[in-house]
Amino acid sequence: MDKTDILNSIRDSIVNLDFEKSKEFTKIALQNKIDPQEIILKSIAEGMEIVGRKFEASEYFLSELIVAGEIGKEITQILEPYLKGSEIKKIGKVVIGTVSGDLHDIGKNIVSMMLEASEFKVVDLGADVPVQSFIEAVKNEKPQIVAMSALLTVTMVEMKNVIEALKQAGLRDQVKVIIGGAAVTEEFSKSIGADGYGANAVQGVRLCKGWIT
Amino acid sequence: MIFMRFKEVALSPDSLIFGTAKYPLKYGYDLEVGRGYVVPEIKYFPRIGKDVRDEYRSITESVLKRAVDLDMRRLQLETELTYLEMGVQNLPGEITQLQKSIIERYAREYGLNVGFRVTVADIRDFGKPKHDESNYMRMMETFESVASNGADVLSIESEGGKELFNYAIIRQDVSGIVASIGQLAALDMGRLWRDIVKIANNKHVIAGGDSACAFANTAMRLAGGKRDNVIAHSLAALVRVMSASRSLIAYEEGAVGPGKDCAYENVFIKAITGYPMSMEGKSAAVAHSSLVGNIIAAACDLWSNEQTENVKLFGGYGPEVFLEMLHYDTKVMNTALETGKGKELKSLFIDSDKYVDPQSYVLAPEVVYTICKTIVKEGDVLSRTVASASEAAAMLLSDSKLALAKNEIRFLEAARIKLEEIYKNTSKVQELLLSYEPKVSKLRIRDYFDS
Repeated sequence: MDKTDILNSIRDSIVNLDFEKSKEFTKIALQNKIDPQEIILKSIAEGMEIVGRKFEASEYFLSELIVAGEIGKEITQILEPYLKGSEIKKIGKVVIGTVSGDLHDIGKNIVSMMLEASEFKVVDLGADVPVQSFIEAVKNEKPQIVAMSALLTVTMVEMKNVIEALKQAGLRDQVKVIIGGAAVTEEFSKSIGADGYGANAVQGVRLCKGWIT
Repeated sequence: MIFMRFKEVALSPDSLIFGTAKYPLKYGYDLEVGRGYVVPEIKYFPRIGKDVRDEYRSITESVLKRAVDLDMRRLQLETELTYLEMGVQNLPGEITQLQKSIIERYAREYGLNVGFRVTVADIRDFGKPKHDESNYMRMMETFESVASNGADVLSIESEGGKELFNYAIIRQDVSGIVASIGQLAALDMGRLWRDIVKIANNKHVIAGGDSACAFANTAMRLAGGKRDNVIAHSLAALVRVMSASRSLIAYEEGAVGPGKDCAYENVFIKAITGYPMSMEGKSAAVAHSSLVGNIIAAACDLWSNEQTENVKLFGGYGPEVFLEMLHYDTKVMNTALETGKGKELKSLFIDSDKYVDPQSYVLAPEVVYTICKTIVKEGDVLSRTVASASEAAAMLLSDSKLALAKNEIRFLEAARIKLEEIYKNTSKVQELLLSYEPKVSKLRIRDYFDS
């Protein structure tokens, strides 16, 4: 196998959602002393782009986009020790959580994984997150974005409480706030003073990327 | 109650019809369910920021008043306790009591036949040691309390196995889904329903049944509409089928129905057990959209709206308005039954939805019957889960009238191979489960096997 074959094989294993092969070819690439940055650009980035196009063409499901993102992440972890100090850059940081009283986290998890696949550093606070935990995370992690999710109408009021607490702590101007979840609407997002609303994960991630880039 | 494994299918596709169960039930104020007519089951929730006691009082009054105004003879109310309500000491019992006293007054004054279901929320944090034993005890105390204060039927939407399922479903990981439903959820259901049935028997109330809401309805929501592309709709259909074996455990432990409305897998449960079941469809669009709004009505015994907030609408408050809609829905069904046109109406329910989506296809009585035969043939829950999903996948792939998209076919073919692999090696599922533990937050495998 020459260099191009190896890089293409990694790329194709991402497109085919094949965890094992992707790791196998990445190890072969490193044994052949292929530059890790080249693997990131030619294999991971290109592979993810193909998967993204397949998703947009309704050939792939969103779940497959997520799996491809995880494969890309795993390859990157294998490459990290070989990157000679040049860190893998993240485009921004997001603190995310499902608000207090709400245990539904599946939508939040999808957004979280898609943000990671889009090169965001994600600090996931989990589900049923108290207001104060959001505030502490903003203080400690210094994210550009706070993302909140709620499935229930009885819990979505907590989103407003988080925004109010951010104001009281003098942190509101430091972050963009995006909200989402089945209970939430664009109108509601405006009414509580959020900066944006994602009707679905793709839209939410797109909005976050728009704020950062 | 002695554990009983169902080994036969109680109802043929022909006899699986709305309003009629093999084993009807009678409870509450002389309400009979599955006795040849469909009963509306109204479900509601309070407005945010209002006093919950006042809200439940006004909901109960307005719903029952509407029932009298419409000259209804029978209905069921369902209160589904929220996570927040469960957190307030004595509140569930208080709510139950205040609603029951209003129900009792209407039953006495107007001769209404009324049943009252209370659904307890599953408040466990599965990431805690012993799966949050203290909250488990709180749930059991709540069952006791609502049973003592007037609930006629006890239900829950239990969530054991959900932590692995949530991880697996968004990755379309069939192995993880099978392990979560066929192994973890099954183990949790066994323990939970043994305890609930004991309470129901002691308090002389009905152990109603469980819903795989955390699994099959999550999959249904993720699958979304025809243009959504989050997960395969065929996967949502397979999860529904797998959930039947899981939800059946409640009945094998002694529950007798009526199963909960949002358990669309109740069609399978009714076919196997012959017990009456509650279902929801087109009139539950207020809570969520689905692609099975008519077909699910083909076998219902109670017909529900899922859940409506107590907001003011032009025609009254939400719950009373939806009760009226359910009333007219059931009137059509009951008139069809009375005039010998029940089977015709049933066919219309089925034919109008069957080929819309894989999720509706698997709910058609003849498909349900074939899958149920596969379920009862198997000896354990895991084998039932896998074999039934495999059968469903084969049926979905072989019916040319179901115009499946290419990506659906690709998914189903891969899923079928995976299911066959698992079926041949069910003993390896435990080993497989352990491989998920490091990857899935809050997953504590040992606690499932120790409880």
